[in-house]
This record gives sequence, C-alpha cells and structure tokens, in this order.
Amino acid sequence: MTTVGNSKPGILSVTNARKLNPAPIRRKAAPRLRYALTVGLFLLPSALPLLFFTIVPMVSAFWISLNQWNLVGPMKWVGLDNYARLVTDPGTQGAFLHTVYYIVGYLPLVYSGGLAIALALNTRIKGRSMLRGLYFLPVVTSWIVVALVWRWLLNPSTGIVNWLLGLIGIAGPGWWTDPAWSMPAIILASAWKDLGFVMVILLAGLQAIPEELYEAATVDGAGPWRRLFSITLPMLSPSTFFVIVLSLINGFQVFDQVYAMTGGGPNNSSQVVVQQIYDLTFRYGKAGEASALSWLLFLFILVITLIQVRGQKKWVNYA
Amino acid sequence: MNKKPLAALGIALAAILATTGCGSAGSPEASSNEKVTIRYSNFTSNGGNEKNLDTIVQAFQKANPNITVQVTTLPYKDYATALQTDLAAGTQADTFDIEYANLRSYVSNGAVAPLEGVDSSKYKQSLLQSYQSDGKQYALPSSFSDVVLYYNKALFDAAKVAYPTSSWTWADETAAAKKITDSAAGVFGDFQNVSFYEFYKALAQTGGKFLNDDGKSVAFNSPQGIKAAEWLAGKSGTTMPTPAQGAGTPDFDTKLFKDGKLGMLHSGIWVASSFADSPKNWDIVVEPGDTQKASAEFSNAIAIAANSKNKAAAQKWAEYMTSSDVMAQTRISAGWELPATSDESFLKPYLAKDKPANRKAIFDALDHVALTPVIGDNQQKMVDIITNALGEVEAKRSTASDALKGAADQINALLK
Amino acid sequence: MRKFPRLIALNILVVVGAAVMVFPFLWALVTSISPGAGLSATPQLVPENPSLSAYAELLQRLPFVQIVLNSLILAVLTTVFQLATSSLAAYVFSRMPFKGRNAVFAVYLATMMVPLQVLVVPLFVEMKSLGLINTYLGVLLPGIASAFGVFLLRQAMNSVPTDLDQAATLDGAGHFRIFGLIVLPLVRPALATLTVFAFLNSWNSFLWPLIILRTPGMKTLPVALAGLQGQYTTQWDIVMAGSVVSVLPMLALYIFTQKYIIQGVAGTGLK
Repeated sequence: MTTVGNSKPGILSVTNARKLNPAPIRRKAAPRLRYALTVGLFLLPSALPLLFFTIVPMVSAFWISLNQWNLVGPMKWVGLDNYARLVTDPGTQGAFLHTVYYIVGYLPLVYSGGLAIALALNTRIKGRSMLRGLYFLPVVTSWIVVALVWRWLLNPSTGIVNWLLGLIGIAGPGWWTDPAWSMPAIILASAWKDLGFVMVILLAGLQAIPEELYEAATVDGAGPWRRLFSITLPMLSPSTFFVIVLSLINGFQVFDQVYAMTGGGPNNSSQVVVQQIYDLTFRYGKAGEASALSWLLFLFILVITLIQVRGQKKWVNYA
Repeated sequence: MNKKPLAALGIALAAILATTGCGSAGSPEASSNEKVTIRYSNFTSNGGNEKNLDTIVQAFQKANPNITVQVTTLPYKDYATALQTDLAAGTQADTFDIEYANLRSYVSNGAVAPLEGVDSSKYKQSLLQSYQSDGKQYALPSSFSDVVLYYNKALFDAAKVAYPTSSWTWADETAAAKKITDSAAGVFGDFQNVSFYEFYKALAQTGGKFLNDDGKSVAFNSPQGIKAAEWLAGKSGTTMPTPAQGAGTPDFDTKLFKDGKLGMLHSGIWVASSFADSPKNWDIVVEPGDTQKASAEFSNAIAIAANSKNKAAAQKWAEYMTSSDVMAQTRISAGWELPATSDESFLKPYLAKDKPANRKAIFDALDHVALTPVIGDNQQKMVDIITNALGEVEAKRSTASDALKGAADQINALLK
Repeated sequence: MRKFPRLIALNILVVVGAAVMVFPFLWALVTSISPGAGLSATPQLVPENPSLSAYAELLQRLPFVQIVLNSLILAVLTTVFQLATSSLAAYVFSRMPFKGRNAVFAVYLATMMVPLQVLVVPLFVEMKSLGLINTYLGVLLPGIASAFGVFLLRQAMNSVPTDLDQAATLDGAGHFRIFGLIVLPLVRPALATLTVFAFLNSWNSFLWPLIILRTPGMKTLPVALAGLQGQYTTQWDIVMAGSVVSVLPMLALYIFTQKYIIQGVAGTGLK
C-alpha cells in the first residue's frame, strides 16, 4: 500500500516514501518471481516429460483414432467409425473379457497366497528372512524369463508339470495349446511371479498391527479365525487396498506374459487389450483402430478407478 | 507428381551406369568407388538355408567389392510384424523379402520403390508379372515353391500299405494314415497344418471357391468349405498329433518326419533340403485331391525400400539374389526353393538328383495350382481369422459350419 | 500343545511354498545343461549327459554382454532421472504452496492411470517425428518422469516435520538447500523404494523397447530373449540357457541388495 498521495508534500515525505515503499516492493516482487522460478525449475523436469510423453500422446491417440491409418501410407479420416467397429467386434470384446478374466482369476489367487505366506512368515518361524528372499526372487525376474520358463514347465507334451500330474494319474491339460487353458496358464504364472511382492506388502502391513489388539482379543476368548477376520483383515485393509489398486493398474496393461507365453492364442483365447493394440497396429496395420481401443481402455480404467475410490471409503480402515 | 518418375529415371540411369561399369567420377550415385552397405532382411533362409544365403552373399560381395550386404534373418512367424513395424518406423532394410499376397498393400502405401532397367528376360515371365502393378515392376521374384506330400517308405512298408501315387484321393490318404498311426509307438500317419494356407487349397481340392468372382465377398462358407475344414481338423487327434502334442510349433512336423515317426507330411519343397538321409527312405508325390487336384504354389520376391539411400546398390543386390547363376546353382544344389529364372537348364541337374526320387512331382503339382486368395490391406487379418476358426474346429469348440460362418461374417466385413 | 501342530503346518506351508518358488529356476538350470531336452515326455531330473553346449550356441548367436549392458545402462539412467525429477516435483507438492497446486498435482496423479503400454502407438508416432526411433534416447525419454515416484516421495516428505526447514529458513537457507540438505536425506527410505521400482521397471520393460529398437545389436535383454523363442521353438535347452544367463546379473545384484529391495517395496504399502 502506497501512502504517497496522502502524505504532505515536502522533501521529507518524498524521501520517506522512497524509503518506505520501493524497498518493500522490490523485496516482495523479487522473491515472488524467484519463488515462481524455483517452483518452475523444480516442476519442469517432471512436468515436461509427463506432458510430452503422456498427455500429448493421449490427445494424439484420439486424433489417430478418428482416422484409418497403417502408419506407412497417408491417413484417411473416418470419424467415429473405428469406435463403432470396435464396439461390435468380437475380437475386441474378447480382449476386454480376457483382461477382466485375468484380473478376476489373478487377484484372489495372488492375494490369498500372499496372505497365507505373509501370515506364516509373521510368526517366529526359522529362516524367515531367507524364505522371504526366496519368495521375492520371481519379482525381480523379468517377465519374459518367467514366461519362457513357465511355458516350458507347462509344455503340454514334454513339460514337467504334466509329467508330475501323470504320476498321480491325472492327464494334464493342453495349457497353452488348449483355448480353455491358456488363460489359466497365464494366471498361474502371473500369480507365481507376483506372490512374493504381495507377501512383502502384506507382511509390512501385518507388522504394523499393534500386538495389544491380539492380546485383548485372546483374553476375550477369540480363536485364531476370529482374530483373522475381526482384527487382521480390517487392520490390513490399507495394504489390501494398495495391492488391489496396483493389481488393477497392472492387470489392465497385462502384456509381456501373454506375448511370450501364448501370443494371445490359441485362437485368440488369451488375447488381452494391450496385445490387441499391438497386433492391430504392428500386425494388421490398423493404428486408427488401435488408438480407438486405447481410448476405450482409458475410459474403462477411469470408470473402474472412480468405483474404487467410492468403494474405498466403505471398507478401507485408515487407523 | 512429376518428381517421382524423374527421380526414378535418375536412379535407373545411375543404376545402368553402375551396372555397366561406366560410372564417371562426376555423378555421385554412380561413383563405384564409394563403399556402401546395404541391408537385406529375409525369412526365406530361416531354418536351415542360412548358409546357402551366405554363399550367395559372399559371391555377390566378391563380384561387387564396394557393396557390403548386411543380412538379417527372421523366423517366418515374426517376419510380417517386424517388417510392418520397420515400415512404420522407416527403419526397414534397403532390400527385403515380400510375399505376393502383400505386394498390393505395400505398393499402395508407397513403401516399395518401382524398379527400372531390370533385365526381364532373365526371369520366368509369369512370376515376374505377378509383381507388377500399373505397368511397373515393384519386386523381383527370387524363388518359387509348391507343396507336396512327403512320405516315409519304411512306415508304409511296416503297415503294409502301398506307396501314395499321383492318383490318390483324400480317402486313400485317410485309409493309409489310419493304418500307419500307432500311438503306442508314437507314430503318426499324417501331418497337415490346420491353417489358412492348407484350407484354401483343400477347398479347391474339393471343388469349392474361397472368394466370389467379384472379390467382394467370400464363398468358402459352403458345403465344400465345411468338407475342407472337417478334412483338416478331423486329422488332429486321430492320425495327426494335436497342438497339445506339439503340432503348430514351427519345426515340430519336420522333426517328427526326420525322426521316422511320421508317415505322411504335407509341406513345402523348402523343407526337403533338411531331410537328406533322415528318415532313410522317403519320397514325394503330388498331394491327393478330393474331387480334383489342386496344389499350392508360392513365390517370394525381393523389394527395395522406397526410402533406401542406396537404391542402385540395393537393386544390384536384388537382381543378383534373384537372377544370378550363383544364386540359381546354390538353390538347386541345396534343394532350397527353386530359382525363378527363365533359364531352366539349371533344373536338369536338379531333376537328376537322387533324393527325393520323384522330383517330377514338384513340377507336376504346378499343373493344377490353387492361388492364394488376396484381398489387399486386410490380408494378414483374413489369414488369422481363417486359421483361428479352423483352430476352434480342431479343438472341437465349434462345428465347422459355425466356425466358417463366423469367419465369413468377419471377412465380409473387411471386404466392404 | 495345541500350538505345536499349527507351527508344523505353518513350517510345511512356507517350505513347500518356497520350493514351488525356486523349482522353476532350478528346472530351467537343469534343462539348460541337458542337450536335447524337450524331445521326450519323460523329463530327466538329473541330466544324463550334462553339457554346456546350449550356452556355447547361445553366446555364439547373441552378443550377450552387449545386450546386458544395453539393459543395464538404460535401467541406471532411467533410475537416476526418475529419482531427480520425482524428488524435485515432490518437494514442490509438499513444501511450496502456490495457487492451483492441487489441480497440478491432480493432473500428475491422473497420468498414473494411463500406462505407457496403452500409449505405444501415439508415442511411436511421436518418436518417429522426433527422429528418435531406434535410439536409446527414444527408449529412455518416456520413462524419465514418474507420477508414481512423485506421489511416493511427496507422501514421504509430508511426513517429515517442517521444523527443520523453518530453522533453516531463518538461517537464510533457500529452497535448494532445504531440499538437498534437509528434506532429501530424511526421505532416504522412500528414495530407496523408488530406486527399486524404477530400476526393476526399466530392466524388465518389454513392449516399448520391442517396438522402438529395430537393430538386433541394440536390443535389450527381455526383447532378445523373447526373440530366442521364435528361433529355437523346440530347442528348450537353448531357450532355458538364455533364461538362466539373463537371470544371473539380476540375481547377483539381488543377493547383495535383497534387504533394501524388500524394505523398499514394503514401504510402499504403508501410508
């Protein structure tokens, strides 16, 4: 606030004004600029890549999705035709269905397995850290290696899994050669790979539960199952929520294991959305349809995320 | 609009200068002292003929010391996707293998360069012409091949079945296959891929058509189509191994044949070179038909990338790889695919070689050719739709009529 | 005495479970030294004629050292960039309020919902127009910032009390100094977590390098391995030799850093 206008004219007041006003302005404006610059400097290294490698591609995907284009020849405007085709295309419906199948099969398996091991390791069991290390080993292994090894283990004719099943009189299925078994094979391998990850997350959650809660419950006569359902699981809900969120994000973009284990086959029985995007673009030369599929997936993820956020309040217990 | 032909003319002139060795120091394209490296991406040599390709490359480099050819060989299964990705990225090799069925879409996308100044007298005319479009040559045929029936004589003897002849029908094949199959010993009577490439041919063998004459809709959804699909899918699990037993993985069938555990194998002549003396006694015959004979003929060709920086050198290599004597002799002596050259004198020693004895069948098969149905940009999609539909029939998840109807609907939608 | 059988049951559970975890690796190793593996329906549990021929063939076909180096360099660079970009942004979202900050942060979080895997087509087109196809820079760029990393580090910085910053401000320290000398050292566990995630993600990433790297010699480990399968469809000993060799560098690293990696991952689940 300048007071120059109200002060009496005179040399003193001028010098006063000079003394009082410009200095605070300089002090204020310069730090504000410096502050803004600092914010910019701190933010830009991440904002620019996110802008150019996530947001710009999203927008350009929408543009591409309105065209027919094989990435080689010229683009041809088709409006919303690609969307119209995808919505009725059995291949696309199958890809969404298989992706959901994957998540629905994988999540309970990896969660219950991870929880069982986490509970077991949360006791005074011997060799705990070594066991934990072993369970975690597949997590640090690349998906391609895991897929190749599992493809070999599950080889229908010469794989060891079917040989072992044969020993106990079970004729092993055609795993990746039988359309009915290709998704179960992928789910099995995926759950195996991620079990250790889920276990570590849940174990950390378990260790944060105060011991007194259990002591009090035991005094009240609660048995082990009762304690699991009324203390452990509710107290573990933030970790559970984290596992679910991560599994969903990863589940929608499942690709590596599918590519290396089945390539989406046999007969498209394990075709998932990202594999479909890849095939449409780089096998069939239909980048427009692939981009439309990307957008359908964005919308799908958005809806699922909103549902999650809504539902989260009801059951996740942030103590 | 006017620039392209001019540029092409310039390149052609340069090429002529380069090939005739008159390259004057002034013209940059033709300065034959400049060392260039060109890349050649192929699938045709994959799986046993890599060394034969190398022989041709070495001979070419010796004749053209300034040109180095860098070869990339990919399995057939991965080739189409890799090429499509490279074309999209603009990183394709200067010269690359193409199949006849895909030519149309490459030309319409401007991905391949028109070739000028090719000595057309060196090529088999019918093959050369199939790689032309609007009067321009877009690729040079490198080889042709067909599919025949391989059979293991020892297994036929053991099962006391007479050897196949060129007058055999499907019924004869089925009867023999059943007798030869001995699941306890791991011996199978027959092998034929359950795929698009076998289907359109089987369809022709039973008198059906794949596309209607106008090419605007499919015709395979017919009693003949159902018969052909059932013929292929019905083998699986009876006289032929199922996918769970390994069928469908690329070299499974040839391995089975080499191990002497397969009575009959429907396969291209390109696998012959890997058989040699295993199994001991084998021969080939024209494939049996149902109501008529029909064999698949394939040809491969080499195209030059429209964006190649060394078109002259690339064309030199492409011509060498498709028409030189060294190439023809190497192919013939190795029993690889046949050279697409007009000079058929090379074939004489080929026919005189002892194994397989009935080499004539390779040429007899060409009398009744079932051409690959071609629909342009959606070719790969169509191939996959048919193969998947047949797979459903093979896995007994669908009847032949339902599967073909579904496939017909999908392909008709692509043709609109 | 009721506790005793339960403890035994638990022991059996974890030991059998651990065996299931390790067996596939062991089986890959056994297969890789059994020439001709995959031809017979009866597996050789102990190879009859152990041989390293599959490894010899593999090393002859693949420039393995080069490929491992490619993957390693990309993973290290990705990690370094992500740590730098994420911690700087997290500092702003935790310590430097400005108008519209929440909106900006929401945009950051929203990008987490859009996985790179789904953006490969437009990214490919973008990289092509930038002339970055078939370059390591093209592989690297989309991964140098991570909204997840920003989120993770912001959470950690929010839990660091601001008393120290205020004291430092009174001493005349600027944001750069507070960031570098006070906040960063206090969020080391979260930085370790991000290091693990960034490194693993890059080391294992497949789809993007598969598409953008076109020259065989430039390929990364997962891409080269996936290519092996196409070439040696029935030669499982060679495919498994490739798998074993590619696990080794990571395994060596893992053995020494296991504790930190697991602690790092465990840290993400706790708010």
